[in-house]
Amino acid sequence: MDVLTVIYLVYGFLALYLLTLYCLIYIQNRKRFFESPPIKKQFSLSMIVPCYNAEDVIGETIQSLLNSDYKGLKKIIVADDCSTDNTYKIAKSFERKYLRKVKVVRTLKNTGRAAGAKNFGAKFAKTDLIGFTDDDSRPKKDAISKMIGFFNNSKTGGVTSRVLVQNRDSFLGKLQSLEYKIIAFTRKILGFVDAIYVTNGPLSIYRKKAFKDVGGFSMTNWTEDIEITWHMVSKGYKINIAIPARVYTVVPSTFKGWFRQRLRWNVGGLQTILTYKKSFLRCGMLGFFILPYFVLSWSLAIFGLLILSYRVIRTIIIRYLSTKMSIEAQTTILTLRDINLAPSILFFFGVLMFILGLTYNLLALFHSKEDELEKEGSHYLLAYMFVYLTVYPIILITSIYKYIKGYNKW
Amino acid sequence: MLKSRKHVFWEALLITIVVFFLGLLIGIAYEGSRLDKINEYYVISETSLMDILALNDFMKLSDINCENLIQSNIEFADKIYEEARLLEKYDSSGRITEDLKLAHKKYDLMRTFLWINSINTYEKCGNDFDIIVYLYEFDTRDLTLKATQSVWSKILFDLKQKKGNEIVLIPIAVDSDLASLNSILRNFEIGEYPVVIINNEHVIEELVSVEDIENYLN
Repeated sequence: MDVLTVIYLVYGFLALYLLTLYCLIYIQNRKRFFESPPIKKQFSLSMIVPCYNAEDVIGETIQSLLNSDYKGLKKIIVADDCSTDNTYKIAKSFERKYLRKVKVVRTLKNTGRAAGAKNFGAKFAKTDLIGFTDDDSRPKKDAISKMIGFFNNSKTGGVTSRVLVQNRDSFLGKLQSLEYKIIAFTRKILGFVDAIYVTNGPLSIYRKKAFKDVGGFSMTNWTEDIEITWHMVSKGYKINIAIPARVYTVVPSTFKGWFRQRLRWNVGGLQTILTYKKSFLRCGMLGFFILPYFVLSWSLAIFGLLILSYRVIRTIIIRYLSTKMSIEAQTTILTLRDINLAPSILFFFGVLMFILGLTYNLLALFHSKEDELEKEGSHYLLAYMFVYLTVYPIILITSIYKYIKGYNKW
Repeated sequence: MLKSRKHVFWEALLITIVVFFLGLLIGIAYEGSRLDKINEYYVISETSLMDILALNDFMKLSDINCENLIQSNIEFADKIYEEARLLEKYDSSGRITEDLKLAHKKYDLMRTFLWINSINTYEKCGNDFDIIVYLYEFDTRDLTLKATQSVWSKILFDLKQKKGNEIVLIPIAVDSDLASLNSILRNFEIGEYPVVIINNEHVIEELVSVEDIENYLN
């Protein structure tokens, strides 16, 4: 058996293991998938909306929070990070209209990071719970109330929601919509084994005590929502996800915007891995699953890309040389004989893994249960699996490069 | 919490190991079935070779028609040429087991036998046919060599298509470590492979066109 075959088999084994793990957890907990514990205590809640140059969307975000049916929502704090457009003015108009419910605050100077505005806004929260909503996200009316019941458990430090894509008209938007649904499904599955690794920016709520305990959001990490989750898990807090709590967000509609967003996420992910490297195989689920899972995913993706590149380059060189030589020798460049119709066992293994992956994704989409927006066609799922996911290792490698070079863009 | 829920990680590991090893067993059986097919072909070809060798020996005792002997050689060469292509196809997709490599070696030995027999036939029956022996490296990582060999295969395939029964085409891998083959090759003083030997006289080391090879033929 050659080295490449061994590597392929190791990949196959790990992929099969994760898929089996997810499926087992799902089967064992499927009846609890859409659970939303009844609210036993009306926790007081402040919702912070960090914003920067969001004049087009901030009004709708504040309005969606005002529409919330959760009675314990005491304050909506809009934390403006010194926007240079009309964001502050628009937010102020809401403050004037809903004087007791909306409060608008402004940082002394632009902090350059979402964490800056979030932490600043959190200083004004005097409630049991603190929630955060990105300035371009719209929680559904019942989203917050579907999350609160999880705080009945005193160990719960944070509860996150299911993010769905608002702008799914474009091809990229549809692919991201599929991705978000699959991510939410996987995150819920991980939640059953206390392995949720991120509380998303569009809508997450934290117990104020836990939030204070971890010192709020990290100002040095580009993905403060991942970092705070790992921090809370490392301190023994439980993180949940409420699948019935839906929040719609605006995703990048251009490839460049999408690439930059993913770059930031991955640089942040890398920062978080390095911050918590000492927790490896320690600190409960963080060290035993979340951290190894992240490191393994990164390593496999990058190594996989390197192998793929090696094989592609090698094939191109051989094809180029043989074409050149064939022309010189005046013989056929390409014949039907060049197509190998005797596939190897690894090919069948790959096909099987693809079918299993497809089944898992279909299961995830089956659980998305949304009716407000148009659903994506099946051909988008194939594009997602073949094209979208293939680009990801390239982002990871670029992220490492950017991290080493000193990434400093928001 | 970790303790109470970690059993699912072990359950998944157990299921994965069982499924994975079942897959491996299926893979071994799948590759084994290909080997069985090749072995089946080999046994038939081996019988044909023995038949030709017997015919050759019989020629020494009686005045047998050369045409029959040449025809037998060509037919046999064509047969094992096709089998060589099948073996090559299976070999490139064989991943788990190494058994096909042995089959490859056995075939190389058989082709060496055929070459020796063809040399005898050529000496006895004159130049009514041509023997083209293609010597290549089976286990090479060199990309230029791989490309060169792939072009040689195409040239010789085209030549075979064009000349049909007029030539005996024998491809042999030189890195099979066969004593008989190595002894024959020493006579030719070949520096590097791949090479094409025509009628045991002309050694072509550089890639040439089908037409150029035709110039060396009878």
